[in-house]
Amino acid sequence: MKKTITINISGTIFHIEEDAYEKLQGYLNKLKNHFGSDPEGVEIVSDIETRICELFLEKGKGESTVVVNEWVDEIIAIMGTPEDFAEEVGTPVSVGAPGKGKKRLYRDAGNQIIGGVCSGLAAYFNIDPLVVRILMVILFFANGIGLLVYLVLWIAVPKAQTTAHRLEMRGKKVDVSSIEQTVRDDNPSEKGTASRLSDSGTPSKGAKIARQTGDALSDVLRGLFKALIIALGIFLIFFAFTGLLAFISSLVIGQTFLSDWPLPMNPDFQVSGILEHFVSRGTVVWGLICIGFLVGIPLLAMLYVGTKLVFNFKSNNAAIGLAMVGVWLLALIAMVVVSSREVSNFKDYTTLSNSETLFPAKGKALKITLGEDKFSAYAEQDLDFERFKMVNKEGRDILLGEPRFDIEKSSTGDCVLVIKKQSRGKNREQANEYVQHITYHYQLMDTVLLLDPWFLLGEGDKWKDQRVDVTLKIPEGMAVYLDENADGILFDVDNVSNTWDREMGGKTWVMLPEGLTMKDSIK
Amino acid sequence: MKIENTKAQMRKGVLEYCILLVLDGKPLYVSDIIQELKTAKMIVVEGTLYPLLTRLKNDGLLTYKWEESTQGPPRKYYELTEEGRSFLSAMDESWLELVETVAKIKNHEAR
Repeated sequence: MKKTITINISGTIFHIEEDAYEKLQGYLNKLKNHFGSDPEGVEIVSDIETRICELFLEKGKGESTVVVNEWVDEIIAIMGTPEDFAEEVGTPVSVGAPGKGKKRLYRDAGNQIIGGVCSGLAAYFNIDPLVVRILMVILFFANGIGLLVYLVLWIAVPKAQTTAHRLEMRGKKVDVSSIEQTVRDDNPSEKGTASRLSDSGTPSKGAKIARQTGDALSDVLRGLFKALIIALGIFLIFFAFTGLLAFISSLVIGQTFLSDWPLPMNPDFQVSGILEHFVSRGTVVWGLICIGFLVGIPLLAMLYVGTKLVFNFKSNNAAIGLAMVGVWLLALIAMVVVSSREVSNFKDYTTLSNSETLFPAKGKALKITLGEDKFSAYAEQDLDFERFKMVNKEGRDILLGEPRFDIEKSSTGDCVLVIKKQSRGKNREQANEYVQHITYHYQLMDTVLLLDPWFLLGEGDKWKDQRVDVTLKIPEGMAVYLDENADGILFDVDNVSNTWDREMGGKTWVMLPEGLTMKDSIK
Repeated sequence: MKIENTKAQMRKGVLEYCILLVLDGKPLYVSDIIQELKTAKMIVVEGTLYPLLTRLKNDGLLTYKWEESTQGPPRKYYELTEEGRSFLSAMDESWLELVETVAKIKNHEAR
């Protein structure tokens, strides 16, 4: 049993056996290649097809109407192959103007000493190989540039293995006649080289060894290069894959189920959950969509390039690539729009100041220390946000800010604690509302001033750059002791010795006319 | 130098002339032209003929007309144009000249 295919040659329908079909198609393709795709070539091929149709019809008379393999063989014998045409009329029946074709750089295998680079270059530029070789040797002594150039070309430039390659190397058009010509021209010379090499003369032997070593080396280098490409591809795939996984999981699921995996990118944070406390909901949604495209597309592109490098497949997806770039740019623009809209939510700001005159017990330095951190026990989000943290208390997120503590000289002679709260908002009313919601506590007990380590934002309030500045104004001559734990909230405290905030804790400071001075340094 | 190569070159030189000769007098279908040239051992494979016919047609020496066939696709009947006829007579002359010249040289008449 044989499968038959229905074909149409010059308007006539034929049934043809599968193997016969393949052979016929191969033959016609060969003819098409030979005669070219210009109108003249097309006409010739269609004439030949018409003739084939007639021959089939003649053969089919009285017999079965299925075209079999033998028929195709006979047809090819009658019509002849391009090789036959060349043989029959010497130089061919070439349709297009013969002569110049596209020139390409190859390594000249027929004329090589080491890798055939120099002879290939010589053929390309149509000069004597000896000139190139001498130049290469001179370059070799110039800091080894020649060696580098040679190695790079050796790896990158393909070897001219077929006659067609050798023709392209010299910039000649590849067709039946020129190939035939080259084969005729090349063969004697190649035979000559071969016989010379086998003459076992010392120089020839050397040349042979050089050539074999060269070929082997070239194979090794090419292998290494290929391995490098594949390694790069695998790395890209791995990176893009884990990146996508981590990215999607942190974006959509908001879970850190990947955190134990040894991946280059861990979803340490739950993007969507956290963001809601900082920006409006719409911004979160749109922002996440934009970020999805902005990060996802490059990761997908990496995955694609990696796969391409590893499996060495050829594809022509310019449309998809361009679309991707377009979407990416759109996402970028959308992101800018969304952010700029969000920025307007921070346009105005309000401050609210509260002063209280303190009367600490006299005779002893006022000890300034931090109160108990009531939030240290709760689950904490790993937010790398300056002076802010978010904790989860009984299922609710609470935003905490670190106050800024400063010490100044009092102008009135009293000891005054000023609490200045500040917030931004899209307008003054909103900023005002947010300021009112800020809660901050302190307590004076005898000679100890207890400051809370955190201030709280109003429940459900978003982050609007809320701040609390705690300023202690002390009169001249008054001494304060800064506890070790207090240096965390110190904020740029002016002092005579210009001591850094982090080093001010654990010491007693005295307000002198020239400013805050470390007590130990006073004689 | 191979004898086949020289023969091919010589055949190539006269093949176009022969096609014109075959077509002298009456329009012919391609397979008739092929038949005649094959019998005369000018060509072996038919594929050789098609490009030559197309080129001669494009050069204005030949023209063709379509004729319906009782079986199979319509056929191209080639015939000489006016230009083709004058070309052929010029070729006739130079062919005779060439044959004479070769004969002279062969018989060493020029010596």
